[in-house]
Amino acid sequence: MTTPNEKPVNVFGASLTRRQLVKAGGALFVGFGFVGAGVGSKLAKAATTRNTLDPTLPSSWIEIHPDNTILIRTGKSDFGQGTTFTAYRQIVAEELSAPFEAVTTVVMGDTDRTPDGSGAFDFLGRGTPNIRKAAAYTYQALLDLASQRLGVPKGELSVKDGVVSGRGKRMSYGELVKGQQLKLTIPVTGSLTSPMGLTVTGNPPMKPVSEYTIIGKSYKNTVIASKVTAREQWATDVRLPGMLHARMVHPKTLGSTLVSVGALDKTRFPNAQVVVKGNLVGVLAPTEWEAIRAAQQVSAGTKWTDWRGLPGDASLFRHLRENADWKTAPLMKSDKTRGEIEPAMARAAKKLSATYEFSFLKHAPIGPTMALADAQADGTVHVYTHNQNPQALRGELAQMLGIGIGQIIVRSFPGPGHYGRSNGGNAGAEDEAVILSKAVGKPVRVQWMRDEDFQWSTQSPAALADVQIGLDASGKMLAYQVDHYMPAMQDDRPVGAILAGLPTMDPPNEKGDFISSTANSLQDPWIYDGVSVLAERGHGTYQIGQKESPLTIGIRDHSMRTPGQFQQNYPRELAISEAAALAGADAIQFRIDHATEDRAIGVLKAVRDASGWQTRTSPVRNAASAGDPAVRGRGVSVMFRSGSYWACVCEIAVTPATGAIRVEKYTIAVDPGIVVNPMQLKRQVEGGAVMGISHALLEEAKFDQSSITARDWLSYPILKMADIPEIQVVLLNRPEVGAYGGGSEAANALAAPAIAAALHDATGKIARRLPLKPEYVRTLFKA
Amino acid sequence: MVTVVVNGVRREIPSPADTPLLYVLRNDLELSGPQFGCGLAQCGACSVLLDGKEIRSCITPLSSASGKEVTTLEGLPARWAQQRGLSKADAEKTLHPVQQAWIEEQTPLCGFCQNGMMIKATELLEHVATPTVAQIKEAFTTSGPSPHLCRCGSYTAIMDAVQRAATVMAKGGK
Repeated sequence: MTTPNEKPVNVFGASLTRRQLVKAGGALFVGFGFVGAGVGSKLAKAATTRNTLDPTLPSSWIEIHPDNTILIRTGKSDFGQGTTFTAYRQIVAEELSAPFEAVTTVVMGDTDRTPDGSGAFDFLGRGTPNIRKAAAYTYQALLDLASQRLGVPKGELSVKDGVVSGRGKRMSYGELVKGQQLKLTIPVTGSLTSPMGLTVTGNPPMKPVSEYTIIGKSYKNTVIASKVTAREQWATDVRLPGMLHARMVHPKTLGSTLVSVGALDKTRFPNAQVVVKGNLVGVLAPTEWEAIRAAQQVSAGTKWTDWRGLPGDASLFRHLRENADWKTAPLMKSDKTRGEIEPAMARAAKKLSATYEFSFLKHAPIGPTMALADAQADGTVHVYTHNQNPQALRGELAQMLGIGIGQIIVRSFPGPGHYGRSNGGNAGAEDEAVILSKAVGKPVRVQWMRDEDFQWSTQSPAALADVQIGLDASGKMLAYQVDHYMPAMQDDRPVGAILAGLPTMDPPNEKGDFISSTANSLQDPWIYDGVSVLAERGHGTYQIGQKESPLTIGIRDHSMRTPGQFQQNYPRELAISEAAALAGADAIQFRIDHATEDRAIGVLKAVRDASGWQTRTSPVRNAASAGDPAVRGRGVSVMFRSGSYWACVCEIAVTPATGAIRVEKYTIAVDPGIVVNPMQLKRQVEGGAVMGISHALLEEAKFDQSSITARDWLSYPILKMADIPEIQVVLLNRPEVGAYGGGSEAANALAAPAIAAALHDATGKIARRLPLKPEYVRTLFKA
Repeated sequence: MVTVVVNGVRREIPSPADTPLLYVLRNDLELSGPQFGCGLAQCGACSVLLDGKEIRSCITPLSSASGKEVTTLEGLPARWAQQRGLSKADAEKTLHPVQQAWIEEQTPLCGFCQNGMMIKATELLEHVATPTVAQIKEAFTTSGPSPHLCRCGSYTAIMDAVQRAATVMAKGGK
C-alpha cells in the first residue's frame, strides 16, 4: 500500500498528488474526478462496477511514460474523420510542447479502456475537446513537478520537445515521471453512457495560438497505412473460438408480427439452428455460407402478418402536411427570433412564399452493419463492433438485459462509416448478436445483408419547410419567416430488442430529452443579421408509422451527417437565392449585404474569388428549359456549423430535354478558425462535397405502405466516380479566432441548395424538392 | 477439395465448391483485404484479382477459382516485387506503388471500399501505364461488373493516388 508523501497540489482546479517512489517504471497518469453532486453520485456508482475506468484510480486520458512516449485515450471512435489519429495527437503534443511523434498510442472507443464516452461527432469540441483540456491540465502538473525537482520557480521554466528547462537545468518528461506514481485528478461533468458522455470542465491555461508549432501541419493519419496494407483489424475480422455465424430473418414489413417460423431443413443444413424470441428470428451455423443459405431457406417458409400502415413515398409530403400530429410536440423557436412578422410582411414591396421538401435519406454505409457478441456464462457480455458511441451502446444493452453496465464491455474496431447512424449507441446488429449469443451460449457474429441494411436501419428524416421572405422596394430583406416540419430525428432503440420484446428506452415522444424528443429544434444558425424581423419555428412529430406499427417501429429515423441542419439549411439557402433573384441582386452580394459577421462575409468572398463568380442577377440571360443543348448556371450556399463557416459554389450543366443535371465544378471555402491539419481537412471536405452532390441529385429512401423499398445500390443509387466534378477546396486559416471548428460535417449539406439555385439560374425554373432527379426536373420544365 | 493459388501460395480448400470466394478468403484463409459490401457485385468492396483480372469475390463461387491465381490486397507487394524482379530482402520492405500512393495521398476516409479501389487501380495500371482522368473514371465506373462505390466520397483522392502511382510505376518504382 502506498500513501501520499506530499500534500496535493492544486493545479488550476485539478489536484496533483505524488505517491512514494517506486523502484522501476512509474508514470504520470491523468485520471478524473467528478463535479456536481447530482451527476457525480450517479456516476460514482457506475464507476465502482467492473470494466469502467475508475475515476479514483490513476489512469485515464493521458499517460506519460519514462521513455518519453505518450499514450492518449478518447471515448470517440474513428469513423473515417481521422481526427483521433491526427488532430488529437497534434493537440496533445502542442499543449504539452512535446513532439508529435511522442504520442505513439491512441486508444479509442473501448468502454473499458477509455474515459469519456460520447460519440464519433464534434471531435474538435468547438475548439476545446476533452483531450485538449486534459493535456492542458497535464502540462501544468508537469511544470509543477519540474519546479519541485529542478528547484526552479514554475514561472522560469520553459518546455521544448518534451524537455523542461530553466536556470540552466533541464529534465525530460520521461525523467520527470520515472520512478514515481503521480496522480492528477481533473474535474469532469456529465454521464458516461448518455449520448454526449462526459465533459472535462474548468479552465486550465491553454497554450497561446501564436506559439503553435504542431497544429497547422499536415501530419499523416497512421491508420491509413495499416488499412491499405491489410494489417488493420476491422470489426469484420474479429473471430472468437467456437463462434457461430448468424443471419437474421427480419419481419416481412415494418409492422409485421411473427405467425410461424419456417422449418429448418436439417438434411441440407445439418449444423444450423434457429433461435426465436418474440418477433426476432435468427439462423446460426458454424460457417458463414451455411448460415446464409439456411437463413434463406427458413425465411422462405416463415409467415408474418401483413401490415400497410405507411403513406407510401408518393404521398409523403401530403401525409406530413395533412395527417401528421404537429400539435403535441413542443413548438421550438430560434434564439434570434425577433420583431413583428405580420406588419413587416405587410410593408414588403415583394414577397417570396414557398415550400421546400426534403426526402428520407439513408446513411448507406458501404458495408452492412455487423457485430460479434460473446455472452459468457458468468453474465458478462463482450461486444466487438464498429460503433460511434460504445458507451451509449453499453447502456442500451444493459437496459435490454436488465444488468449493470459493469457486466458489459464494448470494443470498437474500424468499419464502414455510417455517418451518425450509431452516434446514439447502436447501428442495428449489436443487440441481435447479444440476444443470440445469450440464447446459444456461444459467441455469435451477426452480419446484416445489403437489403436488411437498407430496410431495417434508420433513415435521415424527411422534412418540409414553409418560408416567407419580405423585400422592401430597394431589394433588402425586411423579414424572414420559416416553419420547419420534421418527424423525430433520433430513435436510439435497438431494433433487435424491440423485436424480441426486451426493454428499451421509450420511442421518441414529446416528453423526451433534447435527443429523444419529438420536438424539432432549430439547428441552422441564422447568419443574416441585417434582417431585423425574424421568425424561425420548428414543428416536430412522431416518426411515420411509429404509432401505427404493432412493432412500434415504422420509419425509424436517426441523425445523419449535418443532422437537422441539412433539413433546415437547404430551404433557407435556396429561398435566399430565390429572394436575391426576386430583388434583382447577385446571389453572393445579396448574402454579403445581409450578413454582419465578418467570418460569414469572408467565406462568401473567398468562394466568390476562388470560383471566378461573375456578379450578376439570376437567371442567366440565355436561360432555357427546353431543347437538347445543355444550359449552364451557378448557385451558392453558406452555413455556420460547429464553429466553422462554410460556403460553396456549384456550377452545373443541365440538359432540358432529359432533365439530367451534371455538376461540372464545385468550389468550397471553409473557415474553421484554426486549421489543425490542412491535408486531412481537405480530404474530409472533398468527401463531404461528393456525398452532398450525391444527396442532391440521387438520393431518396423510397417506401411503400409496408416497408422501405430501397434494397441495394440500384434502388438506392449514390454518386459514382464518373459523375464527380472538378472540386476546389479553399481553406481559410484564421488563428485570431483562437479555436478550431469542425470539418467533417456541413460539406455534405451545402451542395443541395447551391445546385437547386444553379438549376434556377440555368433554366429559370425553380425546383423545391430533393432529390433533383431527371424525371422530377423534366416535370418542372413542362409546367 | 478445390485448389487455388492465393497470393502465390497453393491452397487446398475444403469448403463446398459453391461457397463464394469472399467467404473462403476471409474465413478459411483469414485474409482481411476483401470486404463484404453487398454480396451482389454492385460495389466492389470484395474485389480481388483472378489471373490478373478484377472480379467480385462475393458472387464468384470457389469452383470458378479452381486452379487459378488469386491476388488479394495482401498480395499486392509480392506481385509488384515479382513484376520488378526485386530481391527477397527488397521485396519485404516494398509496398506496391498503389498502396504507397494511397498513403501519400491520404486517400481513405473510412477505408472500407479501398480494398476494391486499390485492386482496380492495380488492374488498370498493369494495362494502361499512364491513364488519363477520363480513363481512370471509366475504369472505376463502367469497366467492371459495377461501378466501384465509395460512400465517404473519396473519388478525388483515389484519382490523385492513381495518378501518383502511375508516375511511380512508369519509372519502375523509383
